[in-house]
Amino acid sequence: MDKIRVLIAKPGLDGHDRGALVISQALRDAGMEVIYTGLRQSPKQIVRAAIQEDVDVIGLSSLSGAHNVLFPAVLNELNEKGAGDILVFGGGVIPLVDIKELESKGILKIFTPGTPTKVVSSYIKQAVAEHRGEKMNLLHPPKKVDHIGIAVESIEKTAAFYANHFHINVEKIAEVPDQGVRVAFLPLGNCKIELLEAIDESSSIHSFIKKRGEGLHHLAFEVDNVQQRLDQLKTEGIRLIDEQPKQGANGNPIAFLHPKSTHGTLLELCEELDHTNNDKGGQ
Amino acid sequence: MDEFKQDFLKWQEQIKEQIKKRPERKEEFQTSSSIPIERTYFPDKIDNAYIDSLGFPGEYPYTRGIRGTMYRGKYWTMRQYAGFGSAQETNERFRYLLDQGQTGLSVAFDLPTQIGYDSDDPMALGEVGKVGVAIDSLEDMEILFDQISLNQVSTSMTINAPAAVLLAMYIAVAEKQGVAKEDIRGTIQNDILKEYIARGTYIYPPKPSMRLITDIFAYCSDHVPSFNTISISGYHIREAGSTAVQELAFTMSNAVAYVEAALAAGLDIDSFAPRLAFFFNGHNEFFEEIAKFRAARRMWANIMKERFDAKNPKSWQLRFHTQVAGSTLTAQQPENNVVRVALQALAAVLGGTQSLHTNAKDEALSLPTEDSARIALRTQQIIAHETGVSDTVDPLGGSYYIETLTDQLEEEALKYMNQIDEMGGAVSAVEKQYMQREIHRAAYDAQKRLENKDDIVVGVNKFQVGEEQQPDLLKVDEAFVESQIERLQQIREHRDNEKVDYILTQLKTAAKGTDNLMYLIIEAVKQYATVGEICHALRDVYGEY
Repeated sequence: MDKIRVLIAKPGLDGHDRGALVISQALRDAGMEVIYTGLRQSPKQIVRAAIQEDVDVIGLSSLSGAHNVLFPAVLNELNEKGAGDILVFGGGVIPLVDIKELESKGILKIFTPGTPTKVVSSYIKQAVAEHRGEKMNLLHPPKKVDHIGIAVESIEKTAAFYANHFHINVEKIAEVPDQGVRVAFLPLGNCKIELLEAIDESSSIHSFIKKRGEGLHHLAFEVDNVQQRLDQLKTEGIRLIDEQPKQGANGNPIAFLHPKSTHGTLLELCEELDHTNNDKGGQ
Repeated sequence: MDEFKQDFLKWQEQIKEQIKKRPERKEEFQTSSSIPIERTYFPDKIDNAYIDSLGFPGEYPYTRGIRGTMYRGKYWTMRQYAGFGSAQETNERFRYLLDQGQTGLSVAFDLPTQIGYDSDDPMALGEVGKVGVAIDSLEDMEILFDQISLNQVSTSMTINAPAAVLLAMYIAVAEKQGVAKEDIRGTIQNDILKEYIARGTYIYPPKPSMRLITDIFAYCSDHVPSFNTISISGYHIREAGSTAVQELAFTMSNAVAYVEAALAAGLDIDSFAPRLAFFFNGHNEFFEEIAKFRAARRMWANIMKERFDAKNPKSWQLRFHTQVAGSTLTAQQPENNVVRVALQALAAVLGGTQSLHTNAKDEALSLPTEDSARIALRTQQIIAHETGVSDTVDPLGGSYYIETLTDQLEEEALKYMNQIDEMGGAVSAVEKQYMQREIHRAAYDAQKRLENKDDIVVGVNKFQVGEEQQPDLLKVDEAFVESQIERLQQIREHRDNEKVDYILTQLKTAAKGTDNLMYLIIEAVKQYATVGEICHALRDVYGEY
């Protein structure tokens, strides 16, 4: 794909450009072409430069509190000049309430102080790729919770509990030998309960139960493309258990993220290869 | 001790004489265990090396402080930078802070004022009253200091390119209050070089900007003797991402450039040097910061005495304001900022600052609320009144670590200064973007260290918690902008416009010549010419950078 071209701009009068300069450098290091406007640019000047330089993205930086006026002014000017297809993101000292307001007006995303530069560059890459129609949509939330994993001593005993008291029946039982587990799926609404039982003592389920007893084990999100999500998460500095997708219980690609990076929850990403039964239930 | 015994006794006598005239805070200082606290602690043997590198407090080279009694005599000035919205709102905040025991004022101006635009200028869109108070004409300044006697407070004004205009307004307000200009005290920042390097509120090119500065030096040495005519600032250089050594070196190089400009304009070194003040950053690295302040004093004393042959000891003394580092405040878990600020402020006090601004915890999110501004002030009051660190002079002097760091910071900073001298001095180094590039490199390195977790920022890349509720933030009332503009337009209608035009024309003529511009600028503000009009007149002559 063509190199992404970015215009980093300082609208308004504030002279604090440490953030703008650092982001410019970080995006260059991430392989983008970056043009920095310098200080005190009016919305008109910014849009003129963006069109002249034929950029994909404009990044606006403001630390003086003028963002509520100036960022939308840049969007208006872009639309007036027929350049509404240029993506605009922003950064700076911007309170949460203003962020929601600005994002609803069409600023793609506001990054606040403390955001790692990798998150910014990854976001821009995804946004531009999506905009150019080169990749699937990674900027939206996962489609749904696919299933909730529960570690159990015995699938049969647990399945009996759900069947007797909630009338939820097992749909399918499968073995995943390379992970040392036997799993059962119990459909519930547009989600499933996955019961996991250790096959032998080398299984992670065995050590999980030994340490914490039976109970909630992981949460699985359904996504469009596990590989792309992993690539994105990796550039954003998230610790992965599986750097490559592996085969799950029904043969679909799955991968786990490390709970150290997810604030304590073991997260699984899974991809439905057979989309025929995808839209049952839900909205 | 023998060799210097006489000197030591003489110094002690001098201090005793001083104390007779101006007593210390207490007659006796002691610890909780009733151990008496001496004014200063010395090595067993005072030798040449000690005298050369440290000296007695209040004596050349001032490494241990510029006063013999330091905070035993008087605490530092607690000076909180404040200003937002209209002059009236800021006036209320000022009076609140004075009621709370603050001892000096510090005015934050909005960006249009700082760059010489009136509130109704198209360039001011969205910025009026945002980061400080909007001042268009003398009327705003009169409101800003309403019920505050200008012979009772000292006022620091963060104003650079239009410093002459705001100083003129301050003088005019004082006159209206019946206070002579000889009696007003305060500081204008007036440090244009660091604006090109780091802060960005320049208007004119460097050369005419330097001329405006030397005009102020000359005017004040004749008429406003108690005003600090410049506050040579490392603060913003550090905020832009420099290291401590760069902060020290670039500030000193800029200071040298101002002195050279003033000498070239024909001023006598001792007529203006005693009114040069400094402004440093109080950053995180505790001991390095303390060493930085001590090294700065010694470097300045050397520069003034050896390089510029100043004779008046007041010219040798580096007096400085400290503000703790805004860039270290985090938007995440903002309460933690109170702790950061306290530690940074403690380093500034141990380094011997003359005045101090402590940041409010919410400044990474917006301007401080009244509550957070109060906690910030309380932080330095606690250091002053509860910790006992003020009871002896330079308590860390003689520490192997501190003294070694002090020497090494000076050594490294001198290397940079030599390099800048070789480039033809600070003005030409600024024009060549030398300092800007060095700072940017340091800033980017710091960002990478942070992202690789080589540097830890608590709550940002370690010890995070989930997304928090944002605390209550200060909202500047946007409605005031309309009334500000309306009032401005009324002033333009009701003043003597012929007179204003006449003075502005004269000002343009004078700007092309060599006469001191301060006199005409004072005339202009008294006729209610606005900040924007005066700055535009000078833009017409000098152009924009």
